[in-house]
Order: sequence, then C-alpha cells, then structure tokens
Amino acid sequence: MSLARIRWMAMVLGVLGVAGVVVLHWLVFFWVGTERTMGIVQRIFYVHVPSAWVTFLAFGITALCGAAYLWLRDERLDWAAQSAAEGGLVFGAIMLTSGPLWAAYAWGTPWTWEPRLTLTLLMWFVFVGYFLVRASAEDRQAGKRMAAVTGVLGALLIPLVHVSVLWFPSLHPQPVVLNVEEGPTLDADMLITLMIGLLAFTLIFFSVLFFRYGLEHLRHQRALETREQPRAA
Amino acid sequence: MPAAAAAPRAGFPVLEAASLVRDYGPVRAVDHVSFRLGAGEFLSVFGPNGAGKTSLLRLLAGGLRPTSGEVRVSGVPLTIGDRAARARIGILSHLSFLYGRLTARENLLFYGGLHGLEDLGSRVPDRLADVGLERYAESPVDTLSRGTVQRLALARALLHDPEIVLLDEPYTGLDAYAGALLQELLSALRDGGRTVVMVTHNLGRGLELADRVAIQVRGKFVFEAKRADLDAVGLERSYRRAVEGKA
Amino acid sequence: MTVYLRQVAAIVRKDLLLELRTGERLAAMGGLTVLIAILLHFAIDQGLVRMQQLAAGLLWMTILFGGMLGMGRTFEMEREGGAIQGLLTSPVPLDGIYLAKVVSNFVLVTAIEVVALAAYWLFFGFNYGNAPLLLAAVLGVATLGFVAVTTLFSAISAQTNMGQTLLPILIFPLLVPVVIFGVTATGRIFASRPVREVEGGLYLLAAFTVVALTAGTILFRYVVEE
Repeated sequence: MSLARIRWMAMVLGVLGVAGVVVLHWLVFFWVGTERTMGIVQRIFYVHVPSAWVTFLAFGITALCGAAYLWLRDERLDWAAQSAAEGGLVFGAIMLTSGPLWAAYAWGTPWTWEPRLTLTLLMWFVFVGYFLVRASAEDRQAGKRMAAVTGVLGALLIPLVHVSVLWFPSLHPQPVVLNVEEGPTLDADMLITLMIGLLAFTLIFFSVLFFRYGLEHLRHQRALETREQPRAA
Repeated sequence: MPAAAAAPRAGFPVLEAASLVRDYGPVRAVDHVSFRLGAGEFLSVFGPNGAGKTSLLRLLAGGLRPTSGEVRVSGVPLTIGDRAARARIGILSHLSFLYGRLTARENLLFYGGLHGLEDLGSRVPDRLADVGLERYAESPVDTLSRGTVQRLALARALLHDPEIVLLDEPYTGLDAYAGALLQELLSALRDGGRTVVMVTHNLGRGLELADRVAIQVRGKFVFEAKRADLDAVGLERSYRRAVEGKA
Repeated sequence: MTVYLRQVAAIVRKDLLLELRTGERLAAMGGLTVLIAILLHFAIDQGLVRMQQLAAGLLWMTILFGGMLGMGRTFEMEREGGAIQGLLTSPVPLDGIYLAKVVSNFVLVTAIEVVALAAYWLFFGFNYGNAPLLLAAVLGVATLGFVAVTTLFSAISAQTNMGQTLLPILIFPLLVPVVIFGVTATGRIFASRPVREVEGGLYLLAAFTVVALTAGTILFRYVVEE
C-alpha cells in the first residue's frame, strides 16, 4: 500500500470512528434505558466492552503479524504488529480503568479475580513486556524479533492461563457475591448501543493502526533517504 | 558426521560468497560481495571501522543470516537451518570464545563436544602441543596472558580440522612478540592448505600472509587485487583512495 | 541423533562444571531461598495463621523468585569472552542449545527446591505429606514448565540493556498456570489427600510444560539468530 493510500484510509476510518463515538455517547447519555439492578453506572459498560474487544483484537493481530514477521522477515509485518500492540496497550488501559470504576458500584468492589478480568490484566502485561523488550534491545533488529517472540509465546500460553484461571474457582470456593455476571440477555436498545460502541471503537482502532503504520513507513523512507550514499568518483 | 561433512567436493570453490547482502533495517552493512576461494588461498579484507567487515565475516561463518545472496562451502549453501557445514569452518576472533573459569583442556573438551568429536582424549593434548601450551593444560584461562589465550583460541578454532578458517582482527590486544608468534602459526595454517579469510584494518599484518586482498568500504568491495601485483606502498595508496571514495 | 545428544550433553556438562567451579548462581539462589524463609518468619504473624496452611504457596513463590534469580544469568554468562558467538557458529542446532540450557537450569532449580524444602522443614516444621514420589512428579513437571519459559526469556533479557530486571514482567503473567496448579497440587499432597485429587492438576501442568517446551524449542532460534 502506498503512503498516500494508508493516510487516506486512516483519515476515513478516523472520521467515521470519531463520529461513531460521538453518536455512542449521545446514545449512552440520552437514549438507552437504565439497567434495573445496576442503575446508571451500567452505562460504563458501553465503553468497557468495546475497549475489551479491541484489546483482544489487537492481541491477535500482534501475535499473528509477529509470527508472520519471524517467518517472512518483511518489515511491514513488524510495523503492523507494533502498531496493533500500541493500540492494544491504550485500549487495554481504557478497559482496565473503566472496568473497576463500574465494578466498584455494580459489584461493590473495584477488583475481583473474575477470569475475564484476570485474563485481560495479564494480557495487558504481555503488551507491556512487548514494548519493554523492543525499547531496551541493544540491537534494533533483534528487538523486533524478540518482541515478536514475546507476542507469539504470549498468545500460545494465554489460553492456558485463561483455562487455569477459569478452573481456579472450582479449586478454591469464591465468595458468591462477587460472581455477578453482566446481564445474560440485553434489551434491544442496549444491544444497539453496544453494537455501535463496538463498531466505533473498532474503526478508531484501525484508524490509529493505519496512522501508526504510516508513521513507521515514513520513518523507513526517511532512513533510506539519509542512508550514506557512496560518494561519486 | 563431521568427518563425512568435511569431505571436499571436486569442482567447487572451497568458499564462495555469491552476491552477499546484509541489511540492518535501513542500513546496508554488506553490499553485493562476491568472491571464490580455492584450497590454500588466503584473502585479507581491509576496511575502515564500520565498513561491514565483521558483518561479512559473520555471514561467512553462518552466524548472520544474509538479506540476499548466499555463502557456499564446496558448493553447498550455508543456511541457518542446516548446521553441518559449520563443522568445516573455524573462527578466530579478537574475542577468545573461551570460558575464563575453565582450564585450557576443559575449554577444548567443550568445543570438541560441540562438534560431536569422539577422539578428544588424544586430540586435545595434541592440539595444545601444536600451539605450545602443553604446560598450561590445567590452568584456568583467566590466569593466562592475552597472547597465550589467543594461541589457545587458535587451537580451539582448529580443533575440528576445518578446511576454512575465518579470522576477525586476530591481532587486537597482542604485543609485538605475541603478534609475531601468532603470525607464524597463521602462516603454517596457510601452508597447510586451508582456505583463510581475514578481516582487519591492519594493512601490514594483512598483507604479509595474503594471496589476495580486498578493500571493503560502506559494505562494498571497492578494490580487489592479487598479492603478487601489489606492494605495501601500493596497497596503502589504494586503501587511502578507497576510503576517501575515489576508487 | 547421537551426535545431537553428544552436543547437548557437552553444553550441559560445561554449564554444570562452571557452576560447580564458581558456585555463583547456586550460592545466590540458595541464599535467596533461605533468606526469603527467614523474612517470612518475621513477616507472618504465626499466632494468626498456621504456616502449614500456607506451605504450598510460600514454597512456590520462593521457588519462582529463587529460580528466576539464577536463570536470568543463563545467557549473560555466555557473553564473557564472546563464548555465545562460539556456540552460535558451532554445528550444534539452535534448538539443541536451548534444550541444553533447559536441562542445566532444571538441575539448578531442582537443587534450590531441595534447599527450600529443607529450610521450610527446619524453620517451620512443614509436613510434606506421605507421597514423596507424587510430590517429586508434581515439582518436576511444574519446574520443567517454569524453566522452559524462563530460559527462553532469559535469552531475550540478556540482549537488552535492562538485563534481568526485565524478566519478571515477561515471565510472571505467563506462569500463572504453574502457580495455580503447582500450588493446589502440592498443597493437596502436603495435606495427604488421595492421589485422584492431585492427578488433574498434574495433567494440566504437563500440558503447560509441553506447550512451553515446544514453543521455546521452536522460537529460540528467532531470539538468537541474526
């Protein structure tokens, strides 16, 4: 993809995504019905779930592009993996702050070791590791490979981590109050709002990803241009 | 297995670099380097710091993956996956690759093990004798002088009888006496029919042993000549012109 | 195959010989293990909790920290004299280097596990149950998984300017299964529960270990090759 095209895509996705988020917030504040048991704070859910979804998506893209990079050694795959991981780090942070805010009211405690919470927290740490490895590598190229390995191994072991945490409650009895689940069935207006949230966050994520990818593209071009040329005889 | 891999194949150059390229991100360290060396040939590669000499040597040793092009050992491509061809290559660097806390003998036993050699009981003392270090066999390496360590490193590099020996600035840190001693050992190496590539910025040392010389600047071989067509003054003139970009 | 085994054995022998000669890593790991036990004695009010109830958890946390301390140096010690370049340009397949390092680290961590068991028995009079073989199996399998992950990441941390400081953030998120099933299984063995209550945890540990070891064997080359 040419740089102009990447920029154009990023702009279009970004405009759509921001518009989506504006609509989402209007819906959340003025339109959607209030959930009966949890009350007004349940509305955080429309930001929390989409950011969690995007974090998972980013994790998948980072691992897949990382694995493909190790295989093919195409720099563009590394740019994509890195861009996705940055998105994952940011949306993961949104998820990890919005979740406890909600839970503090809905569950009466900001944190529980509910399996999905635990999984996403650990996944977020894999992203942190991914960037620490990249940033501290003595050799930039080695940093790219090692970050990719971190992402791939993370993706291979995270399902096992999840299974373990899922089975953990059956190993140790958990207090029942904390085992609250989100409502299993959603009213139509809630479902629509959630879907718009998912769409808007996904669009914004891909917009950021394309912008970030374009930036790496530019950096690469710049480095090629400034590469020392052999002087003419 | 190493013995079988060491059988030379007729009709192929012992060591061949075919249009080797190596990029580090946007930086091109080795730029389309090609050469062919037969048995007993000694190539010295000169170049300023950062010219890509060490990268070239690591490509030849199979320690670095080429961006494009390939290294062939008797016609067999040296790939990262297939490690057998490495049994035919020995490397001597300014780093010793030795463990300071192990004795000379233990270090050689370890390297023999890496090559899967079986006759280490007799081979190790023989090789220590070749470099004149019998009496240091049981000394920990970190108690030895720099020159002695470098001789031991040479014994390590030759332990598995490689046909190809790669030298990376082997004289660094050696005093005049130790340097002369190493020079003697290296010329014996060439006369023994081994193919040698040495990278160095030391024109004098490099020229003494070489059959062929090359000058590498910004990744490229910008000058190549046979030893016979060159003297020290000529080399120095060519070197200066190459580095200044007028070659 | 026999050549492969000889090559792997050469690396393991060299690692253990170096360890015997210097004792660096063992001394640091063993020291930390005993010192953690001593500090725990002062950190936990034994009038409020019975230490025996915490035995499995304390033991595993000690093993993880002690093990990480020593394993972090796995590849740093190869950088002395450029020895790592000698390894990487030798005919030993890269997965062989990884497996050899896993074996020598496994020996090291097993040694500090013995130290930890002895220290906790001495200081707190822990009861380790009546199934020593089963305990050895659980410890062995969980340790292998722990070592497989940590060895790979120690190759990564050795190539960064953060060094070992980087290790915990890389390995601990992934070691959650080892902690969960390691602690529950050993806890039940300490409580002399029937074997079938331990089996499930053991199988899951085995699954984790197989995945970690396979992934490490395949991914290691991308960490060290250039």
